[in-house]
Amino acid sequence: MRRAIVLLSRLALGAIFLYAAATKVPDMAAFAKDVANYRMLPAALVPFVTAVVVGIEIVVGLALVTGLWARAAALVAAGMLLAFVAGLSQALLRGIDLRCGCFGGDEAANWWTVLRDLAMLVPALVVLFTPAPGPAREDVELPAHLGRMSTKY
Amino acid sequence: MMGVRLLLHALALCAAGGLLGLAGNSVTPKPAPFGEPVTSTAETPGAMCQIQGLQAAIPRISVEEANPLCVACSALFVDARTAAEYEAGHITGAIHIAPRDAVDPVLWRLGVYRTVVVYDRDPNCSLADQVAKTLLQHGVQDVRVLTGAWPAWTAAGAPGASGTCGLCGSQPAKGSP
Repeated sequence: MRRAIVLLSRLALGAIFLYAAATKVPDMAAFAKDVANYRMLPAALVPFVTAVVVGIEIVVGLALVTGLWARAAALVAAGMLLAFVAGLSQALLRGIDLRCGCFGGDEAANWWTVLRDLAMLVPALVVLFTPAPGPAREDVELPAHLGRMSTKY
Repeated sequence: MMGVRLLLHALALCAAGGLLGLAGNSVTPKPAPFGEPVTSTAETPGAMCQIQGLQAAIPRISVEEANPLCVACSALFVDARTAAEYEAGHITGAIHIAPRDAVDPVLWRLGVYRTVVVYDRDPNCSLADQVAKTLLQHGVQDVRVLTGAWPAWTAAGAPGASGTCGLCGSQPAKGSP
């Protein structure tokens, strides 16, 4: 049961991250404008941060979907979601009227988008903090000629 | 030990993602402009809607929501662009109020309608926010700015000057060309 929940969380979060990246890739310039509208970064850094964010979304999404370094990907995803929550919150508290930029399009930033990001933290934390069940969770002692390997993540 | 490895893997994922993003940006259809500063709409020259506190203070209305109000004549539309732009084409029944125009002569008309929708040419608002703020200061209760402005209105095929808008345009408006 626990394994199924972790698997579901991993796949769902990975799919969300891949979808988010896919909506931004067709118009990176528009996403850069969305990022600039948060008024958190120097203008010169905005295009680079834009590209890096989308790149990390792709890599994290792939890692979560494939299960490769899934816990590390969940850690990065959680960090990104917290950064998004902070960015959205500061914009809303400062009264900045802007597009969310979350999934492309013209979706406005509001407290609902903040809640949505907080909700996405749940599967990230599930993947991050739920150890694999059974004996596989710890390092496995293999025959001497194969050495020692970890199956933890 | 596992925590350190987890962090190292997380850093590796960030590095890989960052490199992917930086390298792949140029092959996207509309890349982020490396080497060019990207300023917020508020700092874009000519975008006057970023007067501090203005955007958040004035509610928005989408074309989809505003169109029925025009057809039903339950809202008055205010064109905040230049007189020449208004003449070239405007929402059916809209009156023209530029940011520096006096609004007192048309206040009686604005009061007849439950909602006043202000629009301009810029999808990021600008002029419309200024006019909307002036109207609010003059006691007009429900003032909204049209999201997407005139370009979104025409793109949606909503009623233009050549269309019909029932009683919306039945009376010539002061300030209209």
